[in-house]
Amino acid sequence: MTDTSINRPLSAEELDRFGAELDALRARTVAKIGAEDARYIRRIVKAVRYTEVAGRGLLFFGLFPPAWILGTLLLGLSKILENMELGHNVIHGQYDWMNDPTLNGKTYEWDIVGTADNWRKTHNYKHHTYTNIRGLDDDIGYGVLRIFPEQKWKPIYLAQPLFAVIFALLFEWGVAIQDLRLGRWMQGKMSGAQLRKEFAPVGRKMRRQIIKDYVVFPLLAGPFFLPVLTGNVVANILRSLWTYTVIFCGHFTADVETFPKSVLRNESRGHWYLRQLRGSSNLSGGPLLHIMTGNLSHQIEHHMFPDIPARRYAEVAPEIREICARYGQRYNTGSLPKQFGQVIWRILRHSLPSRPRGDRALTLDPPRDVAAA
Amino acid sequence: MSRLLKPLIAPDVFDFWASRFNPTWSWERPLARVIERRQEARDSVTLVLQPNRHFTGFKPGQHINVTAEIDGVRVTRSYSPTGIPRADRRIALTVKRIDGGRMSTQLCDHTQVGDVLELSPAFGEMTWPQAADGRWLLLAAGSGITPLMSLTRAWAAASMPTELTLIYWARTAADLCFADELRALAAREPRFHLQLVLTRETASLDDVACTEHGAHLTTEWLQQQVPGLEQSRVYACGPASFVDDARQIAGSRAEQFHAEAFTLPAVTDDIHGTVRVELRATGRTLELPAGQPLLSALEAQGIRPAHGCRMGICNTCACGKFAGTTQDLNTGERHSEPTAALRICISRACSDLTLDL
Ligand SMILES: Cc1cc2nc3c(=O)[nH]c(=O)nc-3n(C[C@H](O)[C@H](O)[C@H](O)COP(=O)(O)OP(=O)(O)OC[C@H]3O[C@@H](n4cnc5c(N)ncnc54)[C@H](O)[C@@H]3O)c2cc1C
Repeated sequence: MTDTSINRPLSAEELDRFGAELDALRARTVAKIGAEDARYIRRIVKAVRYTEVAGRGLLFFGLFPPAWILGTLLLGLSKILENMELGHNVIHGQYDWMNDPTLNGKTYEWDIVGTADNWRKTHNYKHHTYTNIRGLDDDIGYGVLRIFPEQKWKPIYLAQPLFAVIFALLFEWGVAIQDLRLGRWMQGKMSGAQLRKEFAPVGRKMRRQIIKDYVVFPLLAGPFFLPVLTGNVVANILRSLWTYTVIFCGHFTADVETFPKSVLRNESRGHWYLRQLRGSSNLSGGPLLHIMTGNLSHQIEHHMFPDIPARRYAEVAPEIREICARYGQRYNTGSLPKQFGQVIWRILRHSLPSRPRGDRALTLDPPRDVAAA
Repeated sequence: MSRLLKPLIAPDVFDFWASRFNPTWSWERPLARVIERRQEARDSVTLVLQPNRHFTGFKPGQHINVTAEIDGVRVTRSYSPTGIPRADRRIALTVKRIDGGRMSTQLCDHTQVGDVLELSPAFGEMTWPQAADGRWLLLAAGSGITPLMSLTRAWAAASMPTELTLIYWARTAADLCFADELRALAAREPRFHLQLVLTRETASLDDVACTEHGAHLTTEWLQQQVPGLEQSRVYACGPASFVDDARQIAGSRAEQFHAEAFTLPAVTDDIHGTVRVELRATGRTLELPAGQPLLSALEAQGIRPAHGCRMGICNTCACGKFAGTTQDLNTGERHSEPTAALRICISRACSDLTLDL
């Protein structure tokens, strides 16, 4: 695979123009945001609420297998929509302009075991600012998997194909404890007291979710405790599997790159955009796929404009694609089976020792010293 | 009931379902339904609202923040109930349409009977003291009549032992609100003195003292109109320029003076100047350079707001802004609305600000 054939290194001057074109696209899009976007997100809220009630309602009749199946699927659908198109996007502040306290990025709390506060830190801040920078973006393998050859191989990774499946099933729990970085504690770099302190809010959120899904709703069903309980368990697992699939397709496909910390030195806006592009990959599909993935099917657009309402990504995508083509940059997209196939290959391949290929050049010149300008 | 439900359901989920049944049912948010709408004067509309049980009432002379959704955005402005508290808890607001004004145009032209508005608790110090006596002078200009009308009605309803003078400026006779009611009160009640002043029209009404075009409040004029000014306690309300004039003229002469202005603080283009920034959560007020991003300006003063990327993408530093104008340094856009999420890493102050920090 020859990298320069898909991605031409850009000169500093080209990078500035690249950045300016994307900034202009951003400004044009921001100017359009308004009543339509508000109506859209309210419709999503409505869909989340109605599917949840319908799903939970049907589960009360869960002794009847078709009701259990449909109820579980509806509840899973509700949880997926709430997690992705609603929660993830609202927490990015995409709808802050509405001034609606129930759709506020700083206070929204979503229906998963992880706290929105931890997510704001690991995802909004670390992952989006330091996308795919080794040592700064904890989302590279989530501290559990070896996805890139640049991560150090250890014999334990031989079991990675198994871990990966367990991690997928329990993805929401993995995300919940991501910021605790238990590795530090196991290596003795963090005291037990500190861990307990950091765990307190996480534990509270976990307890709340467990009580809601696995105690209160099953108890409300009285004699039908068991079908409701299993329906909730399965709905949560379905949601974990789906979010895992979508998120892994966004950053762990074959040609996605990771970067050394040095890229951050005096990083220009154009360079930041380029890094988002090279570190992300899209899923091609129709409107239903976009909604079900919370528009993370437009991972590239999302990484360039994380705070623009996600329903706008489909509209800016053709222009971004065109800009990328003019600057000789590959716009990484493909169907879900193709992209996820590449993810699975990475998980399998890098469970065995592998050697880094060396970083591909983003730019022609060394980073400019902005401070000296 | 709410205590029982609390562990089961989040307030916003409760509000979603409650509003399916009745648009003003809510967990804790004070909401009100518009039940009547009438033209009060040429550019002014009165809306009568029926609040839900979460609205805790008001004292005559206070104000309420009203929130309406306009093009998907919730916009908040202050309005002053013009009536007195009633057993059925209804409140009446009179809104004057401002040219190009976002909220006033919405409320005057688009808000219909049946629409729902969100309210805040009432606020404001311009109320009758426990035991009001002596002489009182109310100075109202334009929409500034609203809280003073409420005070006048409360005065009449309680037949308070005070002398009350109301001077009310409007552009033309067609702009006067409540004129008939005020005239009737003046005719009936010898302790109530009414002076209606038109600034853009020579009117032929007997009780209208016509000043010349564009005439302003002056010391001589006021002393002539109000013999006992030195013994009076004064409340003034209207646009900022009017309130400033009133303060200059009556502030030092009257026994007591209190004024509330209806317009925004001045916006500065001077990026070398400083602004006063009030941090409401910590109770501090600072002078900050206007040219700098707020985050770094605050850090230079030893304040450590939460922050992340410092480039406007991660939303970690977003904090509430209660009042003031800021500029987005990436887009150059100005924002004067209060907001729950101001990204201080890429915003500078264009006026004095109040932040939720
Ligand atoms: C404590 C308080 C109580 C108030 N009570 C009332 C009330 O009872 N009735 C009422 O009608 N208004 C009242 N106001 C004013 C009201 O809150 C709004 O400022 C006004 O309705 C204009 O809002 P807008 O969204 O239409 O205008 P905006 O879109 O905010 O402003 C549009 C333009 O109009 C200018 N402008 C804003 N307000 C005024 C004004 N009052 N006079 C002239 N120009 C203005 C702005 O500087 C801007 O250039 C009160 C204000 C305060 C602070």
